[in-house]
Amino acid sequence: MSREMQLFRLCRGSISQVRCYATAAAAPQAQSKATREKKFEIYRWNPDEPNKKPWMQEYSVDLNACGPMVLDALIKIKNEMDPTLTFRRSCREGICGSCAMNIGGVNTLACISKIDTNVAKSTKIYPLPHMYVVKDLVPDMTNFYNQYKSIQPWLQRSDEKKSGAHQQYLQSVGDRQKLDGLYECILCACCSTSCPSYWWNGDKYLGPAVLMQAYRWIIDSRDEATAERLNQLKDPFSVFRCHTIMNCTRTCPKGLNPGKAIAEIKKLLGGFAKKDAPGLDTTALQR
Amino acid sequence: MATFFRLGSRQVLNHFLRNEKVGMLSLVRPVTLKAQPACPPKEMGHDERNMKLGRPQSPHLTIYAPQLTSMLSISHRATGMILAGYTIMWGLGAVVLPDSISCYLEDLAAANVSSILLCGTKFMLAFPMTYHFWNGIRHLMWDMGLFLTLKEVYATGYVMLILALGSAIALVSM
Repeated sequence: MSREMQLFRLCRGSISQVRCYATAAAAPQAQSKATREKKFEIYRWNPDEPNKKPWMQEYSVDLNACGPMVLDALIKIKNEMDPTLTFRRSCREGICGSCAMNIGGVNTLACISKIDTNVAKSTKIYPLPHMYVVKDLVPDMTNFYNQYKSIQPWLQRSDEKKSGAHQQYLQSVGDRQKLDGLYECILCACCSTSCPSYWWNGDKYLGPAVLMQAYRWIIDSRDEATAERLNQLKDPFSVFRCHTIMNCTRTCPKGLNPGKAIAEIKKLLGGFAKKDAPGLDTTALQR
Repeated sequence: MATFFRLGSRQVLNHFLRNEKVGMLSLVRPVTLKAQPACPPKEMGHDERNMKLGRPQSPHLTIYAPQLTSMLSISHRATGMILAGYTIMWGLGAVVLPDSISCYLEDLAAANVSSILLCGTKFMLAFPMTYHFWNGIRHLMWDMGLFLTLKEVYATGYVMLILALGSAIALVSM
């Protein structure tokens, strides 16, 4: 290890030199271009001033000095213009779902949506629609998470205690493929908060994101609690407030299809479809 | 040393501890520790809690971009309501008005109404029906689990609009 350190110390000079050249080459280019000022209108609300109504604040960002994504602009605003601007962010690559917000009228992740380079038009940024606002772009997700909890999103088997620890459960390739397009959901709540039914009935209707996860466990060939899971959804509100508006599928930043999953749940609930028997004997390795 | 310990006999100690005025024990409050399960925080509804905190609701209907998906859905509802209105209107008309419908149609034909107005009225009567019919079929397809990818949703949406407009115009021109 010490050797590597020595080598690094030797090369450090040249590394920083290369970096200097790179920035020196880039700097005049950036200066020669005129600034491209893009306006962002951002929803603001501060809980410390509860009597002040939410307002839209305008910020101007030079696109030539900013990364390509909306999150880059938000971070730039927070770092350089207004440190009180509040939003959630974490992975900056569309896998954590923290920076879900309404950008230009559509729910999406700020980190993977490109800034509209049309400088003449301002981009409006709101928190996820019809949610209680904690501050600025941060919504209260408690209800959403509780609904997710209510569908018991884990594998349930009657023989779990006897054998679970020793051998894996078998699943055929076909059965595994049924989970594709379902398990990738990052629970950013873009779809649920784009759904008008969820806006009006969010307390009782589970919403597309949670229902897609419910379906993910319903059709898992290894899960044995299918009947209980379906039974839990058998009421006028949990599933059937979905009127196939399909805003969910339209807005999903991961390109998934919650609308289709809900339709499949409806088929199972209505008795028009049945869950297939597992393609492989799930517990073959346990015995 | 021995005197010191003799002085610290029981009586002195008792005086020191238990005397009503200067005794130390009167200052000590007996405390018994008893383990109890933690009491859960008071259950408060999601809405109740947020309203108590005075949090605003983020804007929704007014800021969400109009999209084919939601627009076709809301107009399906609207046409349904218009059709229900027409049905009630015709029903009430049949009960309340003195003459039969053919009588009124003859009057209308005799009144020489401009053809644009006539076509417009006919379209207003026909289009909600054709729209609700074709979009209803689209919804029935969806309920069977068909045409549910985003591409198909848009394609069937446009096809439905063309069919609805076409059949409404066909009905008008009859």
